[in-house]
Amino acid sequence: MRYIYHLIVLYLTVHFLWLLFREKKFWKQAGIVLVLIMFLLRLFLVE
Amino acid sequence: MPTRDTREHEEEAAKSLRSFASLRMTKFFFFAALALLVSFLTGREFLSMRADDVILPGPGLTAARALSDYFPALKNTPGDTPVYVFAGDREGGHMLITGGAHPNEPAGYVTSVVLAENIRVARGKVVIIPRANASGFTHSDPQEGSPQRFPIATARGERWFRLGSRVTNPVHQWPDPTIYVNPKGQTLAGIEARNLNRAYPGKAGGNLTEKVAYGIMALIAAERIDIGVDLHESAPEYPVINAIVFHENSADIAATAQMELQAEGLEFRLEASPPNLRGLSHREWGDAAGIRAVLLETPNASHGRLKGKPTVSLILDGRDKYYEKAARLGRLFVPFGPAGIPLKDRVVRHLAGLKAILTALGEVDPEKAMEVESLPPASRVGTEGIGAFLR
Repeated sequence: MRYIYHLIVLYLTVHFLWLLFREKKFWKQAGIVLVLIMFLLRLFLVE
Repeated sequence: MPTRDTREHEEEAAKSLRSFASLRMTKFFFFAALALLVSFLTGREFLSMRADDVILPGPGLTAARALSDYFPALKNTPGDTPVYVFAGDREGGHMLITGGAHPNEPAGYVTSVVLAENIRVARGKVVIIPRANASGFTHSDPQEGSPQRFPIATARGERWFRLGSRVTNPVHQWPDPTIYVNPKGQTLAGIEARNLNRAYPGKAGGNLTEKVAYGIMALIAAERIDIGVDLHESAPEYPVINAIVFHENSADIAATAQMELQAEGLEFRLEASPPNLRGLSHREWGDAAGIRAVLLETPNASHGRLKGKPTVSLILDGRDKYYEKAARLGRLFVPFGPAGIPLKDRVVRHLAGLKAILTALGEVDPEKAMEVESLPPASRVGTEGIGAFLR
């Protein structure tokens, strides 16, 4: 179950990284970073 | 065949594209690095909550144990916690003192640390568990914005203490049931499944909190405890405050201690443990283990519902304008003036209460009399501060 959970978090993290790469507007990129931080913390098992 | 103008145009377009791609990559790496940096800094700060405070037991310590020594199922779990034993040379009563059953009630925790770092027992035995719910110290109450820790100034610099949550960390015990039925069959809200002071007498195969409660009951049996004192705090708007809550088998001790405290100018009300309120230390230590059981409550503005901004100052100085107003409106059960109710005064009350209970035990049951030396005098803690009695 834990592996499935982390796979989902990893998928979403990669997805947000891709969005960050595609996005051109500065403030939208900053917004993506805010969400990305939560997913990175989860990915690094800070729970 | 492309003309010279077309070639130049294509080269410029390619250059512009490379420049754009380069800017995009730079921005991407900047933001990705920013996310990593913030994750690292916040993650490190968050995980620091799980580092145990340093407790330096005094020379009177005769044995340093862990709760898992009494109940091995707790070994290597977040519920395991240090146990300090101070045994005298002569036979007398055996007292258990627990602090930190609710880690958001700092006076009980700090008092038990002060005791562990100072006392020497000549007659009888004192067993201290400063962080009864160790898991509760590893997180903070959500949506409260509470400080993670607070400092106490000592002669050698500041000592920092954790301000935890009332309940076990959900990372260690999850999920909460919709309705919690505790080991004695009391029906409670789901979150109370993580409340140590609703989980007595515990269950060997229960959830983590019930296992901790079971471990404390095993300790009571193994150390042949005669009386247990559970140190707590409650919000100033809560009626059971500045109180000695007692099991009916300890009414004589509680009443004697109250008189002694009144003689010293400290008002404590007496509250009998309700027989139908199950799972609490002052009920189950008496019913299930057959020992005398009391619980001390002091007023703590930092975990009340009427408080303003939760700050380190609110924990230490206990000053809050909203509680002042509530007191003026007659909504509190304790006096609350501009001076507030500082942590120092609450520790003084706990120390004075413990001393009065020790004296009362000797008067009520002379065979169980105890002699505890180097017990920090409440009056000196009041004048010199808590830090003067921390190593």
